[in-house]
Amino acid sequence: MKRLTTTGLAALLLIVVGCQSQTKQYSLRGQVLAKDQAAGQLTVKHDDIPGFMPAMTMPYKVKDPAAMQDVQPGDTIAADLISVNGAKDYWLQSVRIVDQSGRQTAKPAVKHALKVGDAVPDIPMINQDGKQIHLGDFKGKSVLITFIYTRCPMPAFCPRLSSQFARIHEDLAKTPGDYDKTHLLTISFDPKYDTAPVLRKYGLAYLDNHAEGFAHWDFASADPADMRRIADAFGLEYFEEDNQISHSMDIVLLTPGGTVARYWSTEWTAAELEAALRQQAKSSANARGSKG
Amino acid sequence: MSVTTVRAAIGCSLALAAWELTGCDSQQHGAELFDLHCVECHETANPDLKKQPPKLEGLFHSKRLPSGAPATDEQVRKTIIEGLGTMPAFDGRLSDHDVNDLIRYLHTLQ
Repeated sequence: MKRLTTTGLAALLLIVVGCQSQTKQYSLRGQVLAKDQAAGQLTVKHDDIPGFMPAMTMPYKVKDPAAMQDVQPGDTIAADLISVNGAKDYWLQSVRIVDQSGRQTAKPAVKHALKVGDAVPDIPMINQDGKQIHLGDFKGKSVLITFIYTRCPMPAFCPRLSSQFARIHEDLAKTPGDYDKTHLLTISFDPKYDTAPVLRKYGLAYLDNHAEGFAHWDFASADPADMRRIADAFGLEYFEEDNQISHSMDIVLLTPGGTVARYWSTEWTAAELEAALRQQAKSSANARGSKG
Repeated sequence: MSVTTVRAAIGCSLALAAWELTGCDSQQHGAELFDLHCVECHETANPDLKKQPPKLEGLFHSKRLPSGAPATDEQVRKTIIEGLGTMPAFDGRLSDHDVNDLIRYLHTLQ
């Protein structure tokens, strides 16, 4: 009964503030694994945040980057987590260092092994049809790649990535010229669970059951060793803990020549990705045209 | 009242108390799991998602689930474990015990 009363009060509060914006505040406590002062971002391995997410490692923006000046990887911090409009936007504020003893054993942050302009390695993967594909198979098209696992329960992570890729796919389908010169690739870093049939079922959910969409959007996984090579190449971080996978959020744009054009992490919109993908396809076609 | 009757009465009271305690613990655990794993998608509007997941209040108060399948424990269990559409599978993340407690709590949502 107490539970229902609490839920009822929370619901009432939401209705009252619903006309403005849904802002929720949670308490976060965890260990900082990486810090990007320029981006104002901390990657935190945190405890359960009831109502927001289970224990996990993920990057967070910090509202006031000056407040994270003293924070170092390895520190245990406490902070207020602010979530707006169903985690459409979220950030940390009031960051406090609770314990500095972990600094000595903190690991250095992983950087992208492939820089912009570098050619991508031709690593084999298995797609949703059980067919072997390679990163190099998409030469001639600009390619947008992202990384997920199908069991990811965090709406701000894999479901958001796949939902926004679906939006891009639907938009591109309206302009056949761009559709033919672009490709989407979603790579799962959970090959043990995300077999071809699982990826096919997952992909169909985001393609509204139109299987012909797979010709433009592949869902693939690689064997664990190859997956680690792909992750290292693109700076993707992932590790399994407590029956779920903690991971960074990474999106990579490839040129039709098979080189890295650009990276995104947490700050992006579908419109921005789509425009960059279209632009990349057009500029490469123009470059080829001017050479001919 | 015979000794046997008194013993039986005490035994029944203890059993009832134990059942209520277990039931409350189980429901509380289910509520915590609900907060942790369900609320963020099902109870919060998120325009970034391709499909807005249905609210779960009154899930067991109609004959059919939002998917159209029968509103039974087994169907809800299957949905939680295997996922459905864009809902992720919780296979390997929730134990049988967790799923039982979660379903028990879902029954209480009005």
